[in-house]
Amino acid sequence: MSAPLTAQPGAPAAGPGAGGPVIETRALTKRYPGPVSALDALTVTVAPGITGLVGANGAGKSTLIKILLGLLEPTGGEARVLGRDCQRDGEQIRGLTGYMPEHDCLPPDVTATEFVTHLGRMSGLPPTAAKERAAESLRHVGLYEERYRQIGTYSTGMKQRVKLAQALVGDPRLLLLDEPTVGLDPAGRNSMLELIARIGAEFGISIVVASHLLGEIERICDHLVAIEAGRLLRADTITSMTQVSQVLLIDVDEGSEVLLAELSRRGLEPRRHERSLLVGLDDDATYDVVRDAIADLALPLNRLEQRRRRVEELFADDPAAPEALTGAGVGGTGGTDGPGSTPEAPHVR
Amino acid sequence: MSAETGVIHDIGYRRYTGRRLGRAQIVRALYRHSLRSAFGLGRGAKAKIVPLIVFAIMCLPAIANAVAVANGNARLVPYDTYVFQLRVVLMIIFVAAQAPELVSRDLRSHVLPLYFCRPLRRMDYPLAKLAAFITACLAIIEIPLLLLYVGTVAQSHTPHAIWSQTRALIPGLLVGLMWAVLLAAIGLALASLSGRRAYATGAIAIYFFLTWILAGILIAVTQRNVARTAFVKPPPGAPRPPGAPATGPIPVHIITQAPTTASHLSGLVSPFTTLDGVRLWLGGTSKGPLPGVGGYGALYGAMFLVLLAVSVGGLFARYRKAGAL
Repeated sequence: MSAPLTAQPGAPAAGPGAGGPVIETRALTKRYPGPVSALDALTVTVAPGITGLVGANGAGKSTLIKILLGLLEPTGGEARVLGRDCQRDGEQIRGLTGYMPEHDCLPPDVTATEFVTHLGRMSGLPPTAAKERAAESLRHVGLYEERYRQIGTYSTGMKQRVKLAQALVGDPRLLLLDEPTVGLDPAGRNSMLELIARIGAEFGISIVVASHLLGEIERICDHLVAIEAGRLLRADTITSMTQVSQVLLIDVDEGSEVLLAELSRRGLEPRRHERSLLVGLDDDATYDVVRDAIADLALPLNRLEQRRRRVEELFADDPAAPEALTGAGVGGTGGTDGPGSTPEAPHVR
Repeated sequence: MSAETGVIHDIGYRRYTGRRLGRAQIVRALYRHSLRSAFGLGRGAKAKIVPLIVFAIMCLPAIANAVAVANGNARLVPYDTYVFQLRVVLMIIFVAAQAPELVSRDLRSHVLPLYFCRPLRRMDYPLAKLAAFITACLAIIEIPLLLLYVGTVAQSHTPHAIWSQTRALIPGLLVGLMWAVLLAAIGLALASLSGRRAYATGAIAIYFFLTWILAGILIAVTQRNVARTAFVKPPPGAPRPPGAPATGPIPVHIITQAPTTASHLSGLVSPFTTLDGVRLWLGGTSKGPLPGVGGYGALYGAMFLVLLAVSVGGLFARYRKAGAL
């Protein structure tokens, strides 16, 4: 298991920034007792930058993170983080990596400053440095005077920030964030995602964001790795995955059937998507057609939103046949504020 | 959320280029942190109440002894048992109150993943906690012993007197070490079963108190009554009971208790009497709660090791499981 691993010749190691891949796995397999494989021969390379790790709950994201941190022994295969072997050099890797767990992990009766300082010590910082870096990390995540208050008095958004600050305190080269937006309201999610994007862009720290919400992830990621049932579904850059194909989402409070008929009559090809309608957006004239149709029918318009094709649409069908999607262009689900649930999509809450 | 969340002031990110501590030093930092929390240091005033009161009361016999010795009396309190009942009660209170402080809080708030994703190894955490709590118990037990020693030696004027005090102190310190190790291990193992402080405290207090009371009852009921005749010589001129001879000693029937095999073994029920059994086995002379260990001293030694192994094993096994991210 500890045989030296040289980078695969064909591995797509190139990415923004210098240095080799931050994460490499080869045929990584983890079987728990029982019939289920948590990871099934997963081979993936993650370049520097922000990478989304997407998969439904139970797809193997957490198992992968545990193996990457050297906390779980794989049944087979190899994994390397920042060029170090996960099984042999787990301690080193954990010294270079910041981890933000999905679940609540904060004591309520301690101040954020004390808590992050202590965890800075646990990351190997000397006492003074731990204090300084705790204050800095908390400031970076947007906690100022509040940091002297007990964590129990914080809002969910502030708690998420403390969790992020404790991952940052040891000045990691890699951040592993497990569902960083869980439990946040839309505004909180947006600011958390913005924060993550800034850390990735300005702090020069590579980030892996595990999430089951594709629509969120694609906004901030350079790369995307999708796993399902412990297997690699697809790994690529975001831009190559989301060809521009515009869609207009129309949400009316009532009368969507009437509108559907009316839009068809006016030459569009509307499709139903949950309670909304989607039409292909060819040019600006489409807006006028939709506007006029709604105005003529006097329908209460709730939302009119232009959307890119979502990454998750790529996973709604066989990824080997992406053409199947481009024709309709509207087969997917999503939106950060209204997660849909196509059964096959790795999008199950 | 406040208005400023989401706003990052552009102060730039600074890399840390300073020294990084190795794993051993991180474990030491965790040890220090845990030791401080065992005494409520770094926490509010409320957290310091129990450790402070326990420590103060534990010191009282040593202070009383210093006063007595200064007034020309001999040493009041033996080093190897100290004031046994007092020590039992105070240690139950201290362990029940403070062991959960070290482990239950982290379990309750699910902080452990944040430790295990750092350079620590999984067993470093219980190791640091155990070492810290042993040290804390040691401080509560041994500092009063040292006060007892200092108070006595301060009035000793010959090297020989000082040496004899020192020779008596050393076994006392060793007994204290056994106490600290066993009680800390049992306390932490029980505390690690529950993330709820109240449950953890309750479990520890109930286990220690019940077994202590049970041992006391068993020792009492298993002793054999022995009737014997003693002769009492009343002072001249005192009235004599009817039927007694007119002169000379008066025979009196008295009933004493003699230990049986069962009472020799009863002490194995409680950690405190087990500790006392080991003390007697190793040659302790002061009178403790046990009427003696008969020929079963080695059994007390074995019981001590079993209790210790089960608690330490249980504590470490707990973290092998609970460490899952």
